[in-house]
Amino acid sequence: MLDGLIGFGTAILGFMNPASIVYALVACFVGFIIGALPGLTATMGVALMTTLTIKLPSADALLILICTYVGAIYGGSRSAILLNIPGTPASAASCLDGHALARQGLAGRAMGIATSGSVLGTWIGMIALAFFTPVLGEMALKFGAYEFFWLAIFGVVISGNLTGNDPIKGWMAGFLGLFIAGIGQEALYAFNRFTFEVHDLSGGISLVPALVGAFGLAEVITVMKDRPRPVMVSAYDTVIPKLIDVTKYWRTIVRSGLIGTGIGIVPGVGEDVAAWSSYAAARRASKEKELFGKGSIEGLMAAETGDNACVPGAVIPVLTLAVPGSAPAAVLLAAMLIHGVNPGPLIMVENPQFVYEVVAMMFIASIGILIYGLTLTKLLVRVLQFPAVLIMPIIFVLCAVGSYAIASRLFDVYVMLAFGVIGFMLRQLNFPMAPLVLGIVLGDLMEKSLRRGLVLSDGDLLPFFSRPIAFVMFTLVAVTILMNVPAFNRLTSRAWSSLGGLFRRSDAGKGV
Amino acid sequence: MEDEKPSPFVDLVAGGFWLALAIAIMVGAWTMDRLAHLKIPIFTVPGLVPGLLGAAIAMASLVLIVRSLRAGALAGAHWPSVKLGEHWRLIAVLVLCLSYAIGLIGHGLPFWLASAIFVAVFIFVFQFAERRRDGTLPRGVLVAVTTGLISGLVIHYAFQDLFLVRLP
Repeated sequence: MLDGLIGFGTAILGFMNPASIVYALVACFVGFIIGALPGLTATMGVALMTTLTIKLPSADALLILICTYVGAIYGGSRSAILLNIPGTPASAASCLDGHALARQGLAGRAMGIATSGSVLGTWIGMIALAFFTPVLGEMALKFGAYEFFWLAIFGVVISGNLTGNDPIKGWMAGFLGLFIAGIGQEALYAFNRFTFEVHDLSGGISLVPALVGAFGLAEVITVMKDRPRPVMVSAYDTVIPKLIDVTKYWRTIVRSGLIGTGIGIVPGVGEDVAAWSSYAAARRASKEKELFGKGSIEGLMAAETGDNACVPGAVIPVLTLAVPGSAPAAVLLAAMLIHGVNPGPLIMVENPQFVYEVVAMMFIASIGILIYGLTLTKLLVRVLQFPAVLIMPIIFVLCAVGSYAIASRLFDVYVMLAFGVIGFMLRQLNFPMAPLVLGIVLGDLMEKSLRRGLVLSDGDLLPFFSRPIAFVMFTLVAVTILMNVPAFNRLTSRAWSSLGGLFRRSDAGKGV
Repeated sequence: MEDEKPSPFVDLVAGGFWLALAIAIMVGAWTMDRLAHLKIPIFTVPGLVPGLLGAAIAMASLVLIVRSLRAGALAGAHWPSVKLGEHWRLIAVLVLCLSYAIGLIGHGLPFWLASAIFVAVFIFVFQFAERRRDGTLPRGVLVAVTTGLISGLVIHYAFQDLFLVRLP
């Protein structure tokens, strides 16, 4: 505990220099604007900033990325409240009550609630990050090839299950991602696979250009393909959060913060699911259920706390298992690898201070969003009224230059183009992007673990199912898939009802 | 959560494409060199994982196809009539982005100039109808060129001089 506090204090002091403060403020601002502009997502923002910060020292680069990430997730609430358009998918739940409040002339109060919820959510997640990372890191040390194989499969399956509205399509996207990760020289024998004698493909598909394409160019095409609708910004009152909104709903804040953090820890699920889950839980527990969807302060608080708590939550598996908890966290993971930080089970052994540096970065980011949340409303309203036609070509130029910047080769620009066009088509066909991204990130881990496990067991599949953690993870994968099979659902509901009948009969027997 | 659900027919066509891709992956994996000269165990051959993933995608594609058929994909199915004029914005954005990324950058033209041309043309094309209707075409040209030049130069400066990143 004391070590952690000392580590956190040391990290905060380390960032107390003019350059880091300026980087953090600029990054929070950039993230805030990216998040607020409908069509631009946190993943795209973090991916573009990764390319821009490639030459910076790792601590400053990661500070910028985390500030952008937190700022973008928070910024999404502004357009949700003022325009009834979620700035990022994470803010979709905030539209329901946020815009309803705005229609009642309470847009300022709604923005204040979003600010307090987001800051408190980040702090809850941050505390969880500080406490659970060492615990999970210790647990992760027990993971071998068999467990990592199932972890990778579980990530893709659960992400496919939860991030879209069609699990089959989510899984297909995830499997495609795993396949894409295998293109190029494989790890055991350096054999070229599916490279079609294209020399540049031997090194594989780089994650950042692929992400910039799938989230950047695909967004540009999606936004520009339709005629822009006129922007109607709601009038707003004071944006200073009210203390009563926090004290009255403290239970909702704590519950949503924990739900958001928990969902963040689950691989590849992300902020939108965290927001909706927190919102649903708040509605179930609320004494004012009838207000939800009609301007409920509690509903907005829950959604905003949940999605921002998910950000530090999503970083926990990045640090302990090198498995991202969300799509922007996948970019963060790639950025850590680019900057020579090796997250994974050994992080608490080799570089424990880094964990507290990340906690400090989250704290600094939360202060950044608090500052901008209280001060930038007028500027933001102007930015929201800025025509998309002036912003989108600039975003595409950034996509192109960002893809090139990673390795200074034009091939990566073409990768970005291919993923942009494919990503756009897949979105139109309702295939979610998050499992695809997670698949690309986890493909290497999955394959290495499978083949290493098979080598260790001399081809025997039994250890993949017989070791306790591996068995639990396999069961989770199997149940997640089976839950989507109607026959399995009918069977389990029949089993439950007969089990319930058995208990009722025995209770009745006792009564007699 | 992302977009509206496409029709069963569209799902059927998509399932067909995915199935074809999966079969291609499986064939590629099966015919891949098994490195017999290295006497490696069969469970470490390079084609193993792609083959398994191809099989998984094929199974999921079949489920998608069967599901779309059961949802009536073939009942009154017809290819949607595509009128290019209705999709001019989509075609324009694709043509402009591909031309910039493939044709303009990395082929000798200074990056800031290539970017300025792209941004200016992009803005002008997408504002053309509105500007012509309002009689503000010259102003539109001015806005497009100014935005193009400023963004090209600022991006060039930010990446190359401020953050020391190489540009194409």
